[in-house]
Amino acid sequence: MIQPAQYRRLALSALFLTIAFAGLGYRLVDLHVVRHDDLSREASVRRESTIVHPSRRGDILDARGNALATSLFVKTVCADPTLIGTNQAVVARAIARLLRMNEAELAQKLQPRSYKDRTGKEHADKYVPLRRKVTPEEWERIQAAMKNVSFGVDEKKLPRRERAFYRNLRQRAIFTEPVDDPLRIYPGGTLAAHVLGFTAATEKIVEGTAVTELAGRDGIEATFNSVLNGAVGWRQTENDRGSHELVLFREEDVAPRPGLNVALTLDASVQDIVESELAKGMEKNAPLAISSVVMRPKTGAILAMATLPDFDPNQIGTKTPMANLRNRLITDTFEPGSTFKAVVVSAALNEQVVSLNDVFYCENGLFSFAGYTLHDAGHHFGNLSVEDIVAKSSNIGAAKIGMKLGESRLYKYIRDFGFGEPTGILLPGEVRGTVHPVKNWYKVSIAQIPMGQGLTATPLQMAMALGAVANHGRLMRPMLVDHLEDEHKQVVFRYQPQTVRQVISLESARLMVQAMKRVVLPGGTAPRAALEHYTVAGKTGTGQKAPYGSRKFFSSFIGFFPADDPEICIAVFLDEPDPQRYYGGETAGPVFKAIAERAAAYLGIRPDVQPPSEQPRTPSSNHVEGIAETGVSNTLTTAQTGRNF
Amino acid sequence: MARNRKNQSAAVRFGPALKALLICLLIGGSGVGYVWQQNQLFDLGRQKAECEKRLNTLRAQNGQLARHLAELQSPRSLEARARELNLGLTMAQPTQIVRLTDAPVTPSIKPALTPDPAERQYARRQTFASPAR
Repeated sequence: MIQPAQYRRLALSALFLTIAFAGLGYRLVDLHVVRHDDLSREASVRRESTIVHPSRRGDILDARGNALATSLFVKTVCADPTLIGTNQAVVARAIARLLRMNEAELAQKLQPRSYKDRTGKEHADKYVPLRRKVTPEEWERIQAAMKNVSFGVDEKKLPRRERAFYRNLRQRAIFTEPVDDPLRIYPGGTLAAHVLGFTAATEKIVEGTAVTELAGRDGIEATFNSVLNGAVGWRQTENDRGSHELVLFREEDVAPRPGLNVALTLDASVQDIVESELAKGMEKNAPLAISSVVMRPKTGAILAMATLPDFDPNQIGTKTPMANLRNRLITDTFEPGSTFKAVVVSAALNEQVVSLNDVFYCENGLFSFAGYTLHDAGHHFGNLSVEDIVAKSSNIGAAKIGMKLGESRLYKYIRDFGFGEPTGILLPGEVRGTVHPVKNWYKVSIAQIPMGQGLTATPLQMAMALGAVANHGRLMRPMLVDHLEDEHKQVVFRYQPQTVRQVISLESARLMVQAMKRVVLPGGTAPRAALEHYTVAGKTGTGQKAPYGSRKFFSSFIGFFPADDPEICIAVFLDEPDPQRYYGGETAGPVFKAIAERAAAYLGIRPDVQPPSEQPRTPSSNHVEGIAETGVSNTLTTAQTGRNF
Repeated sequence: MARNRKNQSAAVRFGPALKALLICLLIGGSGVGYVWQQNQLFDLGRQKAECEKRLNTLRAQNGQLARHLAELQSPRSLEARARELNLGLTMAQPTQIVRLTDAPVTPSIKPALTPDPAERQYARRQTFASPAR
């Protein structure tokens, strides 16, 4: 028989159980229904993680496969001061040298600190960046140093809690950011800096993670930025309590795609030759800037392109003057001066309004036209043949040839030679220069333009125009990139030489080359640009910079050799050389010669002239030796015989 | 019914027990196998992660070495090294380069004599004969 008291106890127990179950049920509903979203999110954050794999930026290679720009992944080393306790000095002593930091400064950085969040709540700072751009090898050494550092206690004898403290201090107090940063390295330093350009780090969010990516800011780095940059990869995975990845639970796993390598037509050795000779020229002539471009006229392939002053893309920063960053060969325009006469005479020869033997009266150095007086700098030429006008660079002679050619035809050829439009080189920042349409010409323009005044051009435009004369009248587009290749060196895309147009006929080009050969002979404007083993054809230029009369000049020499079958064309430009010695033949000519001699030896260009002292004593060579005595016609005559030694 | 059950042979009663045992073994084995498999997957995953880490380290080292090589191969570095070692290296002058002209290749084996017309005819016959074989 059940007693009432028992019923009460039973009912009480039932009530208690009901309440307990109701409480549990409520908690269950609260966790699984009401707070489901929040808790689910929190669990995901703790368990799931996205690992971002940065992509490797492609290399920039020279024509022989040497790396001019390459990439490396580096780490950012950080510290968690909360795990260091009072051991700042010991840790700083162990790793300061490896981090290339001052010990006291590092110890200061390792001191505990706090920060306030938006709500004003104070938190201990667990993230103190110590040093960026730490290589994996350096990081390994830092890890080893932390592992072996002695804190002056026998850790094995310590209680478990203190042992854990020292274990955390060794393993977790100094750590790296989870995603490595890319670092761009230019092994050659300043070599070809203006062509390569430079990069800047930008931040990008991939799958919710901030990733540092390099973005090209100038040069090939900027033009081919999208090609060089690959695609970032990522992996969605889960971690255990110890933050170790549970490979079994990997979900998305997208491998990064490295960027393509860009192989240039540039040859690092030729580039080095050019830069070292430009440096000597800079020292000797004290210009504001000196530039040079070396190219193969037949293809437009650029072997070297340099401008001084330059910069080191490895150390680009606010300390680099902006002027040094400019690739003056494409960004600056000048009145080209006498090198432009080659364009005018080529046009006149092509239109057959003159022949090389036609004689013009050069007014004894003073020619009044349209209210202006034209001068032949320091000379009083009388009658000169067209060939002499080129060789001696007579302004008045060129003006008269231009007048004979006529405004519309002169304008047509100026445009056909590529002036007034970008050359199309694959570099950013190229300007087009200024070529006014005929309707905007002054009356004196027809006499002024043939002297290289009244229009502006970039040095590269001038080089390409004279390259067209060297290339049998065919204007080529400058070619700076040879091919794109993947990480396994498989060619993905190959660039081909591009002909812009046939500007003048083959015969006109031949006649022009014949006249230009005289420039480097005694009596020409650039005998100091003559080469011992090669026939050179070229043209000097000494343009006045505005305002005229300020004794600021733009001196240049553009030449190519072997003249009849040119292998390379070298253009040298000096901006505001020493006013005591500023003529193109005196300043740019010797630099051309120095570059040409070394480049020809390096490239193995077959000589087309044998110096008299080296000629074998055979009956046929006696004739050459005899000619050599006449001096002036030695080089020319030898070349004209068509003999290759 | 009870009598009939008593008369049932032991072999008949053993059958369901064996079946039950086998099922238990199967289920138990499957469970153990599943756990073992999961354990293997976990171990392999850990090994894979370690291999990937090692691969990344090697890639990084490779990158470092490639950079170092590029630095050593740069013209300035080579020039500085040549100067440092005092090797006396200079650029060859064009006259110091000996160029060999490619002479027309003369065949070392004399060409066979023109075959006799009769031989040619014989050869043709042989050719015609061959498909039949």
